Order: sequence, then structure tokens, then C-alpha cells
Amino acid sequence: MASSQVVKALIVDDNAMIRRIHMTMLFRFGFEITEVEDGKKAIDQFLDGNEYDLVLMDKEMPNMDGVEATRTLRGMGISTKIVAITTDSNSMGAFLDAGADEFILKPLNFPALADILKGFNFLN
Amino acid sequence: MASAPFKAQLTDLLNSMFAMDFLDEQFKELQMLEEASGPGFLTEVVTLFCGDAERIISQLDALLNEPAVDFGKVDANVHQLKGSSSSVGAKRVALVCIKFRNVCQENDKEGCIAALHEIRHEFDELRKKFQTMLQLEQQIQDLDSK
Repeated sequence: MASSQVVKALIVDDNAMIRRIHMTMLFRFGFEITEVEDGKKAIDQFLDGNEYDLVLMDKEMPNMDGVEATRTLRGMGISTKIVAITTDSNSMGAFLDAGADEFILKPLNFPALADILKGFNFLN
Repeated sequence: MASAPFKAQLTDLLNSMFAMDFLDEQFKELQMLEEASGPGFLTEVVTLFCGDAERIISQLDALLNEPAVDFGKVDANVHQLKGSSSSVGAKRVALVCIKFRNVCQENDKEGCIAALHEIRHEFDELRKKFQTMLQLEQQIQDLDSK
């Protein structure tokens, strides 16, 4: 886990509305949130030395899509929990092969997110 | 309380939007998030959705007016709109997006144009109701804060 007690999450999605919704859901758990709008910016966050406990990763994004970003992060040795969140049900295999820990279809609802976070032991 | 009639109007409006499938359970999720996070969240989400949808519909119109339609780009835009509409609970818009993707995948230009027309109609109807909803919420907030 990142060094502080607070869970740090990175939201990666090119849709500002969806970032806002996911951010509000994670705020309810008291997480510290950073948001970026594509896979390349997500990689840059880690290259800049930032640490995260959780990444919520969309698939279709400009510059670098979520599958490629996931693969790149794992190639960099990043072991952060990555949850793929997308409307593309056909991308599950690609995401899991790339190293995602969980895959869930949009729209994300609060109970489903809570279940995933409990599974990662992020909730007390 | 002065805001009571407006609260009643808002309740009636939302009930009718759910009953007529303009909205689905996902919108109720967002309402619960607003209760937890405070006023302004739903306004922001609805405003972002409407801006997003308007932009995508305009892009689709431009793409379908090209002499040679790039169905890949059309599909990508419809996919985006489907994602946005399902995330905000805009059920009727999301359902038309599914129909749109089906005709797009068959490279059916006339079918796509018809589907775009239907999306425009559904979105316009929804946007009017969202505008009324936001106006009522603002009136309620203004009266309750006095």
C-alpha cells in the first residue's frame, strides 16, 4: 500500500462526467483521489513518483487505451490494484491478460464498488 | 414551508421520468450519492452529460453527412454516448444507442441517419425535463436557505 494510511486512488477515464461520478463514490470511502483523462497520463503519474493503492481504468481513451496502460504499468513493475471499468464486455480477456485485478462493466454502482474494495481489504 | 409546492412538483416530475423510462436505477444511485456528498453533484453531472451528448450528436451528424461514411468513427461516438447515458441513468437514450450500434455495424447509412434522428428526439425530450428538474432544485434551494 502507498505510504500514508489513506487509500490513494487514480481514476483514468476520458469522460469528465464519469470521472466525477467515480470520484464522488470513492470520496464516500474517504479515499484521496487523483484523476487523469488517458492512459499515457496515468503512466506519467507513476513515472513522476506518485504512488497509488487503486487504479480505476477505462478502456477507450485517446493517446493510450486502458489495456495498453495496464500492460505498461505491469511491465514497469507496478503492483497497484487495477480495476478495469468499461462498457466493452469483449475487453475482459484483454484486460485480465494485461494484468488487471478486476473487471466490471459500466455503469458502476456503489454496492458493486464496495464489494471490490472489500475484496482488496481497502475498507475497515 | 415555501418550498413545499416546488418539492411536490419535483417529486412528480422525477416519478414521471422513471415511469416513462427516461431514467432508470442508475439515476437513483446518483441521487443517493448527492444525499451523501451534498447539493450540486447532480447539477454538475447532468450538466456534463448534456454538454457531452450535444457534442457527440453534432459529431455524429457531421460524420453521417460525409460522402463516404466512416462507420468505425460513428460506432466509436455512439459507444461513447451509450457509456455516458447509461452512467447517468438516461435509459431511453442508452437504448437507442444500442439500436444505432446494430445498424452501424451493418454499415447501414440510412439506418444510422434514422437512429440519429431518434437519439436527437430522445435527448431533446430528456434535456427539457432535466432543465425543469434543475430549475426546481434551484428554487427549492433558494427558498430553503432563506
